[in-house]
Amino acid sequence: MRRNQGCNPLEHEMARRRFLTSTVAGAAGIGLVDTHAQADQLKHQQKRILQVFLQGGVSQLESWDPKPGTVHGGPFQAIPTSVPGIHISELLPNIAQRMHLLSIVRSINIKINDHEQGRQFMEKGRRVGQFPYVGAVASKYLATPNSNLPGYVHVSSRGLSDVAGGAAFLGAKHGQLKLEGIKPPGNLSAPAGIDAVADASRDKLRLQFNQRFADRRSKAMTEAYDASYDQAAGLMERRAMFEGTASKKDLERYGTHDFGRYCLLARTLLENGAACVKVTHHGYDSHAENFNFHLEQLGEFDRPFCMLLDDLETRGMLESTLVVIYSEFGRTPKVNVRYGRDHWGTAWSIALGGCGIQPGAVIGSTNETGTEVADREVDASHLFHTYLQAVGLDSTAEHDLPGRSIPIGDPATESIQELLV
Amino acid sequence: MLISLTMIACSAASSVADTPLHKWVDMAVGMGSVGFENVAADDAGDAAFARRLYLDLTGMIPSAEQARRFLADRSTDKRARLIDQLLTSPQYARRMQYEFDTMLMERRPDKHIKSDEWRNYLRQSFAQNKPWDQLVSEMLTADGTDEKTRPAARFLLDREMKTDTMTRDLGRIFLGRDLQCAQCHDHPNIEGYLQRHYHGLAAFLNRSYLFTDPKSKQTSIGEKAEGAVKFTSVFTSESDETAPRLLDLPPIEDPPAAEEPYTVKPDKKVRSVPVYSRRLQLAAAMTDPANVAFRRNIANRLWALMMGRGIVEPLDMWHAENPPLRPALLDLLADTLADHDYDIRYLLRELALTKTYQQSSQYNGDAEDSDAAHFAVSMLKPLSPEQLAWSMMQATSLTETTLKDLKAKHLAAGTEDAEKQIDDPLWQEETLHNALKAHVDTFAGLFGVVGIQTSRFDASADQALFVRNGAALQSWIASGSGQLTSRLNMLQPPDLIDEFYFSVFSRPPAIGEIHFVTQFLEQQPDDRESAIRKLVWAALSSAEFRFNH
Repeated sequence: MRRNQGCNPLEHEMARRRFLTSTVAGAAGIGLVDTHAQADQLKHQQKRILQVFLQGGVSQLESWDPKPGTVHGGPFQAIPTSVPGIHISELLPNIAQRMHLLSIVRSINIKINDHEQGRQFMEKGRRVGQFPYVGAVASKYLATPNSNLPGYVHVSSRGLSDVAGGAAFLGAKHGQLKLEGIKPPGNLSAPAGIDAVADASRDKLRLQFNQRFADRRSKAMTEAYDASYDQAAGLMERRAMFEGTASKKDLERYGTHDFGRYCLLARTLLENGAACVKVTHHGYDSHAENFNFHLEQLGEFDRPFCMLLDDLETRGMLESTLVVIYSEFGRTPKVNVRYGRDHWGTAWSIALGGCGIQPGAVIGSTNETGTEVADREVDASHLFHTYLQAVGLDSTAEHDLPGRSIPIGDPATESIQELLV
Repeated sequence: MLISLTMIACSAASSVADTPLHKWVDMAVGMGSVGFENVAADDAGDAAFARRLYLDLTGMIPSAEQARRFLADRSTDKRARLIDQLLTSPQYARRMQYEFDTMLMERRPDKHIKSDEWRNYLRQSFAQNKPWDQLVSEMLTADGTDEKTRPAARFLLDREMKTDTMTRDLGRIFLGRDLQCAQCHDHPNIEGYLQRHYHGLAAFLNRSYLFTDPKSKQTSIGEKAEGAVKFTSVFTSESDETAPRLLDLPPIEDPPAAEEPYTVKPDKKVRSVPVYSRRLQLAAAMTDPANVAFRRNIANRLWALMMGRGIVEPLDMWHAENPPLRPALLDLLADTLADHDYDIRYLLRELALTKTYQQSSQYNGDAEDSDAAHFAVSMLKPLSPEQLAWSMMQATSLTETTLKDLKAKHLAAGTEDAEKQIDDPLWQEETLHNALKAHVDTFAGLFGVVGIQTSRFDASADQALFVRNGAALQSWIASGSGQLTSRLNMLQPPDLIDEFYFSVFSRPPAIGEIHFVTQFLEQQPDDRESAIRKLVWAALSSAEFRFNH
């Protein structure tokens, strides 16, 4: 039944939704209530997610699943870590010292070798159809009430197109706010001559107009429109957060390059109540010169990420923050003629830790040469369930959407139980 | 209901009845049946109708003066006359240019054809009311070598002649079917999206390629004389091959191979031209009456343009599991459009004349949201980025003041015929467009979506920040000479409020609204001008302004 369809569009969802409404409708009411109560409880506990996306597809052989000395192993060595028995690539020396905070899943097979489709699957936990991203789900169910920040913030140096910010049917409010690096969003300051009082009074007037218009009219679109103004207001109130310059000490630790600064901003955003912060580190699509690229890229990634991990831990936030390091896929074991590795969804790894995750574990394995999953095969739908259950959300429940019956995670799969605390 | 549908079927086939299309449409939607009338909304009223129509047919709200003039008109046929007037205005061609550019190119960046040339080609086509089948034929036939027809080649050339991209978009945009999944296998969930449909379409194009002239660097479409399309299902491993074919229509077999298959032989330096071109069979096959999907697709898209939702929705997702809400209605529209030689203006006119189009967006009683899907209540349509930009400039009188300046400049330049020219609607539209185009581009960049377009509405914080704090809007709201704020500042309530409502909302204020705005102005501690600025800003950022309702 689960075949590689290599497809993404809507019609699957539509066919599927029809199926679901006929079979799950009876359970919908109960599911909704449960989810709702769950959301309130979670908001109280303030759990959150940090996603570090290594865009382009990091090589599992140069990171979490090294195979030195084998036919496809490449030139880099495996080094021991703070967890006896776990070895990772020598390109990640700082992470190796903190392996006891993280775990690895080495047996991912998503059967997709396309950037966009792989990325969508990893974010949505569904191969096809318009479903919300992990971050949008976090925004809906984990965001603290009265948080002034959009729930889902993405820090990236360049744009990747995310339809509706990944919110799908959860609505624009839960779509990602995309920040171009550490640049504050544009138009963050009220125009000259409009102070806070004047701004509030004109905004009140806007709402009065809206209230009149809402009379006996469809609410779906007007509510989404209103929500965008609430988020804008929240961002304006937090302007200082974007304008605050990093301390010298922080910059020494994190580094002054872009990714270091993104990690610092991520720390600030998480501390200020964002439900999901995604930081994208671009440039892992190493079709040529794979080894030089990874040496450089992972060299830039390893230290700032570890500083962020340390800060989350020392500030007592790690136990309530799920940390995930992922890509859209891995890279081919076979090295091509340009010393590159190509797209590879068949047998690759991610790392995760923090909230709800058993630390120091390795889930699954690949065969000796890394060409196939040998044990405990999982795909992005299993990971999606696992992320959400790690932050205490029942991913098998239905979304909190009146009149609709949509399971949060793919009902055909389940979480990686042994990875959860 | 059954009787009326049978009648519709007859009329579509033979066009016997003298009954105009818009009456048949209302019947096919359900008007006259008790169940429908119980939930159907009231008539929208003249003001709401005029705003809606100006937005749909000219791409911006009416000026306060236009709105007032329409309301004051006492004649009974004024709606029909307004429809005719707007359909022949230069603004109509511009509006269609925007809509069809977005539909056909989905806000892709320029690659090989300058988008200005392409847009001009579209606008000229709609100004001439070029039939849709002719427009499509031109786009699928032009190869980019003739300067005259080169802009039409953008649909193919700017998709880089990539067979998969072209095939998928031909299916989506001209046939209403997203066949992407059928590339690798018959669709697993959708009966009727078959691998041979995808590859039949691909076979028209897979011999064609992007040719770059080594000297001029100009790109055009070259084609080889050989290259078969074979495909294998990734599920069943069954293989097949196909000649070009449209969905389930018979394949178009190649003629017997000529002794010399090329007019221009393939060579790195020249664009190869085969004696028999598969690509050149596409336009005729696409627009052939036997290809029902072609007329249904455009009828559905034009319906969605006016009504806010397709009869099949999403527009590119026609299949057995997602049938039209009103199959007879869609066939009626499609067949009548084809009978009228794909006259887009005719169909839009008939749609605008329907009661369905002219009903209110407010429910009666406790009707549910879902009824809008069945066309009993008018849907809210989010303004496109272009509509939003132009409407904001119209509401704040930027259009009027800019045009006034441009006219004065043109006269001052002393060109021959300048006096006559400045009264020419086409000169006015083009001059004003060129002057304000940069603003429209800003809105398109911020509010537009690159890639597959959907009817869904979405709003983001950065858009709201732009409206709240962006410099453009602030300068439009400022009290420059002739602009809305300064005009209002010279008036007193209730005239001030009347002028404000007509300028921004294209309607007179209700009594309660006069009261509420007067109260607001009285309560403002600071000077009156800044109070008026707040009023204008709040109205421009309101939902009533953001949607076509």
